[in-house]
Amino acid sequence: MHGPREREIAFRVNGADHRLTVGPATALLYILRNDLKLNGPKFGCGLGECGACSVLVDGKLARACVVSMAAVEGREVVTLEGLGTRDNPGPVQAAFIAEQGAQCGYCLNGMIITAHALLSRNPDPDEAEIAQALRHNLCRCGTHVEIMRSVLRAAATMRGEVGRA
Amino acid sequence: MSIFDPAQLDRQALYALDDTLIVHGPSGADGADMPFLLIDGAGRIFGFNGHVDLGTGIRTALTQIVAEELDLPPSRVSMILGDTARTPDQSATIASDTIQTTAVPLRAAAAQARAWLAAAAAERLDVPADQLRFDEGLVGIAGDNRRLSFGELVEGHRARLVLDRETPVKPASAYRLVGTSTRRVDIPAKAAGDLTFVHDMRVPGMLHGRVVRPPYAGVDAGDFVGNSLIAVDEGSIAHIPGIIKLVVIGDFIGIVATREEWAVAAMQSLRAEWKPTPSIPDLGDLATAISANPSTARRLQDKGDVEGALDGAASRLDGTYVWPYQMHGSIGPSCAVADYHPEGLRVWTGTQNPHPLRADLARLLDLPPERIDVVRMEAAGCYGRNCADDVAADAALLSRAVGAPVRVQLSREQEHLWEPKGTGQLMQVAGALDAAGNALAYDYQSRYPSNGAPTLALLLTGKIPPIPAVFEMGDRTSIAPYDYPNMRVTIHDMPPIVRASWIRGVSALPNSFAHESWIDEAAAMAGVDPVEYRLRYLRDQRGIAVVEATAERAGWTAHTRPQTLGGEGDLLHGRGFAYALYVHSKFPGYGAAWAAWVADVTVNRRTGEVAVTKVTVGHDAGLMVNPEGVRHQIHGNVIQSTSRALKEQVTFDDVGVVASEWGGYPIITFPEVPEIDVLMLPRPDQPPLGAGESASVPSAAAIANALYDATGIRFREPPFTPEKVRAALHQAGLLTGPLDPQALPPPRRAGLWARLTALGAGAAALLAIASPWRPSIAPIERPSAGLYSAQTIERGRLLAAAGDCAVCHTAPGGITNAGGLAMETPFGTVYSTNITPDPETGIGAWSYPAFERAMRQGISRDGRHLYPAFPYTAFAKISDADMQALYAYLMAQVPVQSQPLKTKLAFPFGMRPLMAGWNSLFLKPSAWRDDPTKSAEWNRGGYLIEGLGHCAACHSPRNLMGAERKGAAHLGGAYIDGWYAPSLTRTSNSVVPWRAEDFYAYLRTGHSPLHGTAAGPMAPVIDEMRQLPDADIRAMATYLASFGDPSVTSALQAELAAAAEQRANQQMSALSGWGARIFDGACAACHSMSGVGENFAIRPSLAVNGTVNAERPDNLIRVILDGIQGEAAMANGTMPGFRANMSDRQIAELIRYVRTRFASERPAWTNLETRVGELRAQAPHRAH
Repeated sequence: MHGPREREIAFRVNGADHRLTVGPATALLYILRNDLKLNGPKFGCGLGECGACSVLVDGKLARACVVSMAAVEGREVVTLEGLGTRDNPGPVQAAFIAEQGAQCGYCLNGMIITAHALLSRNPDPDEAEIAQALRHNLCRCGTHVEIMRSVLRAAATMRGEVGRA
Repeated sequence: MSIFDPAQLDRQALYALDDTLIVHGPSGADGADMPFLLIDGAGRIFGFNGHVDLGTGIRTALTQIVAEELDLPPSRVSMILGDTARTPDQSATIASDTIQTTAVPLRAAAAQARAWLAAAAAERLDVPADQLRFDEGLVGIAGDNRRLSFGELVEGHRARLVLDRETPVKPASAYRLVGTSTRRVDIPAKAAGDLTFVHDMRVPGMLHGRVVRPPYAGVDAGDFVGNSLIAVDEGSIAHIPGIIKLVVIGDFIGIVATREEWAVAAMQSLRAEWKPTPSIPDLGDLATAISANPSTARRLQDKGDVEGALDGAASRLDGTYVWPYQMHGSIGPSCAVADYHPEGLRVWTGTQNPHPLRADLARLLDLPPERIDVVRMEAAGCYGRNCADDVAADAALLSRAVGAPVRVQLSREQEHLWEPKGTGQLMQVAGALDAAGNALAYDYQSRYPSNGAPTLALLLTGKIPPIPAVFEMGDRTSIAPYDYPNMRVTIHDMPPIVRASWIRGVSALPNSFAHESWIDEAAAMAGVDPVEYRLRYLRDQRGIAVVEATAERAGWTAHTRPQTLGGEGDLLHGRGFAYALYVHSKFPGYGAAWAAWVADVTVNRRTGEVAVTKVTVGHDAGLMVNPEGVRHQIHGNVIQSTSRALKEQVTFDDVGVVASEWGGYPIITFPEVPEIDVLMLPRPDQPPLGAGESASVPSAAAIANALYDATGIRFREPPFTPEKVRAALHQAGLLTGPLDPQALPPPRRAGLWARLTALGAGAAALLAIASPWRPSIAPIERPSAGLYSAQTIERGRLLAAAGDCAVCHTAPGGITNAGGLAMETPFGTVYSTNITPDPETGIGAWSYPAFERAMRQGISRDGRHLYPAFPYTAFAKISDADMQALYAYLMAQVPVQSQPLKTKLAFPFGMRPLMAGWNSLFLKPSAWRDDPTKSAEWNRGGYLIEGLGHCAACHSPRNLMGAERKGAAHLGGAYIDGWYAPSLTRTSNSVVPWRAEDFYAYLRTGHSPLHGTAAGPMAPVIDEMRQLPDADIRAMATYLASFGDPSVTSALQAELAAAAEQRANQQMSALSGWGARIFDGACAACHSMSGVGENFAIRPSLAVNGTVNAERPDNLIRVILDGIQGEAAMANGTMPGFRANMSDRQIAELIRYVRTRFASERPAWTNLETRVGELRAQAPHRAH
C-alpha cells in the first residue's frame, strides 16, 4: 500500500452484492465485522493459526484474518450467517446445536465453517478425516468430542440418513 | 402492562415497575439491595445471578434450578448474569462455585416467589394453597378447570419480597427437571452468529481502540512498572489515516481511530522509547527461581512425628516436582466496549468479576462505583482470569479521552504476553516407607508464587503502586487424600515472579500431581499394585467408591512392576492411575467433585512423542443439575488437562514472556485428543457439587504414572514433551532414535555473502579516477498539462509500471513517487528521490533533456552524479519514444512537496564525483538492439527485462565496484537491500527448473506453484506490473526462459516436485521437538499439503520453495519477520509477519526445522539466531 490507496472493491457476501471503498490490503475479517456488521467470523489470532475467523470464499475454506480485500474482489464470500439463522439453521449448524458442539462457543464459527467445507467435498468422512480437517482449528474448552459428533451428525443429516434434531 | 427489557433497566427502574413480583435482598460486602428473581405481568421469569457463564453452561443449569422450583419448562426462564446495575454482587466466578454457592439464594428466591403465587392463586380461586398445583406456568387444583397464569397473578401488583434464604425448597426427591439433561440455552444463538459475545457489541458512534504494551512483557511488579516510558513518536503514525487520538498516561499507551484496521496499523507502527527493562529470574530453571523467591512458611497440617519417622525409616522416598507456568489461552483475545459520558461509565465486558471490576474502574477513573455500569456479555472461555478486566479498563481510559464509545480488542500477542499466567509451582516431598513397604511419613512442602494480578491499567497509569502482593492460594488440595501415619504440610506463600492469576485447578492440580506421583512411586517401591496401595490409605468413602469404580470400568489389571503392557517396534504402552478430591478455596476449604483417571499412553522410543490414547475417568459430583452438562465439563477438563500435561509451558527470556502466538504455546489439536470414557456416579440424594475443574486434577499424575508404566522412568516435570522424553529415554538407554533429530552435518561452503562483504577492499581504487562535476541543465517551468496527449501520458503510465518507478520512489506508507525509501546497499543507505513534478523537491523543474540525461547517464539535473542504486545502466536501453512518454506521465502527476532524507554513503562511496569514474568503467549507454534471429516476442521481452524492467539491477551480481556483472553472471542472482534476488538463469539452484509458464505465472500473479511467492522487494514489483498487458508479461517470460535449459519438460518438473514432497514427508515422521511444534502451531494451518486445493488462496508447498532451498536463510528470515504483502501477493493469500510474535530464538528453531524437513538435501544453516537478530534490527523492506 502506497499511502492510503483506497479503491472500490466489489464482492458478494451471503448472496448480497457489496461495493466498498477500502484499502485493498485490509483484512477481509475487519470489513465483514465492521462494515457489514457480521458476527460469525471472529478475531482469534490475526495470523491464520486458529481458524476462528473462517469463512468460505468461492466455496473454499479461507481464514479471513489473512485474506485481503484484494483477494476477494469479484468473489463470493459466505459467513456463518449465510449458512442459516437461529430460527432456520443450516444442517451443520443444526447438528452442532443438537450435539452441543460448543462450550464457550468462540471457536464455533470456525468449526461449523470448516465442517461445512469438509462435507461439501467429502460427504461421508470418518473420524480420522474429520480430525485431520479440523486439525488447525483450535478449541481451548476441550469440546473436541462433541464437535466430532456434531460433524458426524451433520454428515448423516446431509446424506439424508437421520432427521434434524 | 408494558414489555420491558430487564437487561436495559437498572435496579431502581426495575423496582419501580408495576405488574411485577420481585424477590430482592442484600448482597455483596456492602449489602447493596439487588433483585434475585422477577416475574412480570406477561408471565416472564427472570433470574439474577452475580456469577457469569464462562462457557461451562451454568446459565443453563441456573435456568433449570429456577424452572424446577416453579415447575416451568426451562425455556420460560431467562437468566441475567454478572451485571452490576441489576444483579446481586456474588463476587468473582471462581472455584466451580456457582452451583454449590451462588445458586442457593436464587433457588430460595424462586421458592419464595412460588409461595407468593400460590397464596395469590388460593385467594383468587378460593381454595387452600396446599392443594394448588403448578403446571407449565399455570396454577390451579385437580378436578377444577380454572387455571391462573403467573402473569395474571402478578398483574396489578407491585409485590416486593425480601429474600428469605431459609425458604423451604423442593426436596431433591421431587425433582423432575433438575437432574435431567438439558440442552444449553446459549448455543443456538452462537451457532447462528447472533449477538452474544462482547466482541460483537456495537454501539452508535463507536470508535476503535488499540493499546501498545510496555516491553516488560507479562511482568507486573517492580519500580519500573508504570514508570518506563521515555517518549512516544507521534510522527511515526502520522501517515495513518483516521487517527482520533493518541493517549499516553504513564506507561499506558492507547490509540483511537475511526476504523479498526487503522488502529491496528497505528499499533504496529507507533514508535515508543522505553527505559531498559530489568531482568527477571531465569525461569528456564523454575525450581531454582521459585526456591529463591522470598517466602513465608505456613503450616497446615502436622500429624504424628514426621521427623522421627523420617529418621528411623527403612527407606526414604523423596521427590521434587515442578509445575510449569501455563496459559489460560482464551481463543478470543479479550475485548471490551466502554462508553464514558457525563453521567458516568458503561462498560460491556467479558469479565469473570463484574463487581470487583467495577471497583477497579471507579478507582481508575475517580468515579463513584454507582455511576459505573458493568454489563457482562459472553466471551471466549477463560478457565481462570485472562485479560478481560484489563481491556475493560483500557477501553474506559480511551473512551474518557475521546468522549465517545470505544471498542478495544487486544491482539493475540498482547493476550498471550499479558494474560496473568497460571503460576509455576514447586512441590517437594520427604517421604519414608517401613521395611514392609508401608508409607510411614509424608512431609510435603509447596511453593506457590502469588496471583493477585491487579488490573493492568491501574499499574500502568500509576494509580496503584506496583508492589507485589502475597496471597494464600497455594493451599488448594495441599493435604494429600491419604491417611499416612505421619504427615506434615507446609505452604510457602510468596509474591509473584511474573504476572499470574488463578487457572483451572488452581494449585490443586500441581499439588495432586505431587501427591499422586509420590504414592505411585511408593507403591512401586513397596511392590504393590498402585490402585491397591491407594486404597490402603484412602478413608473417604466416596473417594474409595470413585477409585474402585474407575479401576473396574477401565479393566485395571493389578501389577507391581512397569512395562507389563509391552509394545511393538519403537512403541511402548503404559497405563497410569490417579485420584483427587478437588478441595478449593482458602484452607481448609471445601470439596468439589471427586475424580479418578486411568490414562493409557503410548511412547515412541525413537522420537520421544507421547500419545495419550485413552482416558477412563470416574466422577462423583453429587446431584447433577444437568448431567449432559457435567459430562461435557468432564470431557473439557480431560482434554484441556491432557494438553497441559503433554504440551504446555510458557517460555520466558530475561525480561519477560516470550510465547506470543500458538506456535510458541501449542495446545492440543483434534488428532491428539484421547478416547474418553466417562463414568458419572449417580448420587441424586447428595447436594450438587462443582464440576468445572475436578476432572482435570488427577490428569498430569495419571499420565506421568502411565509414562512410568511404559518406560520405567519417572517424569516429575510436566509438560512431557518429546525433547524431555528423549533425554530421559537416552539416559535410560531406551532411546532408539537420535537425541537431536535436526542435527545435520555442517554447511559445505561459505555463501556469496562472504564474497560480497569483501567489496570494501577494491573501493580505494576509485580514488584515483576522480573526475569533475558535470554541468547542470537549466531549470524550466513545469511543462503545462496540455503539452502531451492523454494517450502518451497513459502509455507513460504503463511504462512507469513496467519500470516499477513507484516501488523504489515511494516510502513505506508515503505518497506514491514522493521518494524517501531507504535502500540498504553494501555502500550505505541510499534514499530514493522525489519524482513527482514538484519544482523544488521533485523533478518539476527538469526539462526533457535533463530527465533523459538522468535516465540514461545517471546525472542529476544539477550535474550531480546519481548512485547506481538508480538503474540508469538499464534505462539507457529505453527507446526515445518510450522515454518521452515516461517523461510526459511523470510531469502529469500531482506534484508533492516532500524532501526525502539525503543519502549518506560510507567513505569513499559518499563522494559522488567518484561516480564519474564508475560510469566511465561500467556504463555502456546503448539502446536495446533487436536480435533478428529471435522472435518478436523474445525481443520485446528482452527490451523490457534489460531496459525499463532493469531486472539485472537486482538479479545480477555486482563486481567490487558495485557494477552489474555481465556474461554468465548476468541475471545470475545477487544480494541486494538485504535480500537475495535469485538467479533467473540456468545457474538457479531451484528444486524445480523454471520454464516460460512458470515465469509467466510468477510475473502475472506473484506466484509459481513450483517455486513460491513473490515477497520482499519483489512483491511491489509484481503489483506495479499488474498494469502491463498480458503480451508484455508473456514476452518477458519467453525471454527469461531462454536463459534456462530448453530440455526441461513439465513431466520432469512434476517428477522433481513429487520427489521433493516425498523427502519432506519422510523427514516429517522423524522430526519432533520445539521447531516442529512452532511449525505446527504457526505455519501448518496454511503450509500443509493436506489443504492444497481444498482451501482458498494458495498454500505454497515448502518442499519446492526457492526461499526454503536457498543458499542463505536471509529471505526466509525476512519473510517470517514481515510476512508477504503486496497487492498481487494478496490474491494468493497474504502471509502475516511474525516480528511481534516470535523471538530470534523461536524463529531460528522454526527455520532449523523447516530447512531440515523441506530442504533435507541442502546444507544446514548456521548462526541462525544471530542472523535473525541482525535482520530484525534492519527496517523491513516496506512496512505496509
